[in-house]
Amino acid sequence: MNSLLRVDDILRAKRWLVRGGNHARSLILVVWTMIVFGGIYGSVMGSFGGARFYQMLFSAMKLPILLAATFILSLPSFFVVTTLLGLRDDFAASVRAIVATQAGLTIILFSLSPFTLLWYVSFDSYDAAILFNLLIFTIASVSSQWLLRRFYRPLILSNPRHRLMMWSWLVIYAFVGIQMGWVLRPFIGYPGTATTFFRAGAWGNAYSEVLQIAWRFLGA
Amino acid sequence: MMLKWFRQLDGILRGDAIQIPALKHGRIDMPVGGVMVVALILAMVYGVCMGAYAIIRTAWSDTGVTDDAVMQMVASAVKLPLLFFLTLVVTFPSLYVFNALVGSRLSLASVGRLLVAMVGVMMAVLASLGPIVVFFSASTTSYPFMILLNVTAASIAGILGLAFLLRTMGRLVMAQNRIDFPVVQTDEESGDIAQEDEQQISSSLDPFQAHTDTKATAVFKIWVVVFAVAGAQMSWVLRPFIGSPDMEFTWFRERNSSFFLEVLKSIAELLGA
Repeated sequence: MNSLLRVDDILRAKRWLVRGGNHARSLILVVWTMIVFGGIYGSVMGSFGGARFYQMLFSAMKLPILLAATFILSLPSFFVVTTLLGLRDDFAASVRAIVATQAGLTIILFSLSPFTLLWYVSFDSYDAAILFNLLIFTIASVSSQWLLRRFYRPLILSNPRHRLMMWSWLVIYAFVGIQMGWVLRPFIGYPGTATTFFRAGAWGNAYSEVLQIAWRFLGA
Repeated sequence: MMLKWFRQLDGILRGDAIQIPALKHGRIDMPVGGVMVVALILAMVYGVCMGAYAIIRTAWSDTGVTDDAVMQMVASAVKLPLLFFLTLVVTFPSLYVFNALVGSRLSLASVGRLLVAMVGVMMAVLASLGPIVVFFSASTTSYPFMILLNVTAASIAGILGLAFLLRTMGRLVMAQNRIDFPVVQTDEESGDIAQEDEQQISSSLDPFQAHTDTKATAVFKIWVVVFAVAGAQMSWVLRPFIGSPDMEFTWFRERNSSFFLEVLKSIAELLGA
């Protein structure tokens, strides 16, 4: 119960998560949140076409992996640019704000999971399921930026340059994250096919695929 | 030893090395020997990241990792430092000459140190984008996409490095003109807090507003454009860095066309034209 209340602190962008407070404690809280809430939405995602245990398990594991891997890949450039802008002293605080926001993202996804279940129960189309999840992720990402802005407010007040860093982070993170989501497919899993952790031979590039689809669409 | 060198580069990135007091005599005295080594290493790291596309692509095909792919990675690791070195070789003499012509008091050594620091900044940014490049290399087979991704990464690094150069140049001129920092106290009612804030926000990318030695700064501004164009074309001369899936490994390719035409072509190809 106590930790559930502390999860609420993430949503309210409580200051102790980013500045002051016990850093070890806030780190444990956000990581724990990402695994549990991200895992829950992942398993909901994988439940399309009836409960398939392995697909649900794999998706539950992959959603936190998606967030963590994107974070790790984007961190080095964020670090260098932060230093270059003279904000190194605030680097730890920026990272805490970013990580806390990612935890917030999983909570938002979790809160939207009933809609996904309702959609799965109502419609059988695999394509529609993909598009609906895309919609949910878009909603969650856009709303988590609210959270990021709240976490960043004290930083921006102390130095307006943090605003630029915040937007740079969002651009890098979105760019890498979209491709990461593509690579880690399948999250939903086509019913009737064997469940695999990774989809064989389906790597490819999210951006060029989308462009090709758009091109076909315009050309046809 | 190595750690000390990395600290030197870190000092440059943080902007410590180019604060006004350090530039008082219109010279740049920061130690850059170690920075050169570190920049070389970082450039090779990014070269390896670029070459990873060839390795990963062949590793997953039936042939396994081919000798060509390994050679491509080695070649990229060698050629990436070479690219920046040769671009400097091409552009440095005219920079110094024009800099002296317009009456700047910057010595040859100072200009040299300034450029080493700039390359250090560029390499740090470039290497930090390396993991993203490897990740896309692993997950995409689209060659034009990889070209454009690498061009984007290099452009980001280039722009930040050149911005660093211009800011440092500006401060140097300011220090020479013996204008104390913070600059002008225009409005007494604006309050001391704001002034203090202004002072605290200091980094290597700070804009500065002061009287500048307009001629010397203009030379550097023009040079920045020249460096960008020359560097881009140099990368074209030194290609392949990534290694086309359809071609055998060569150290160099035939010298035709130009960087700018080919980037346009890649964009068109990616768009499916």
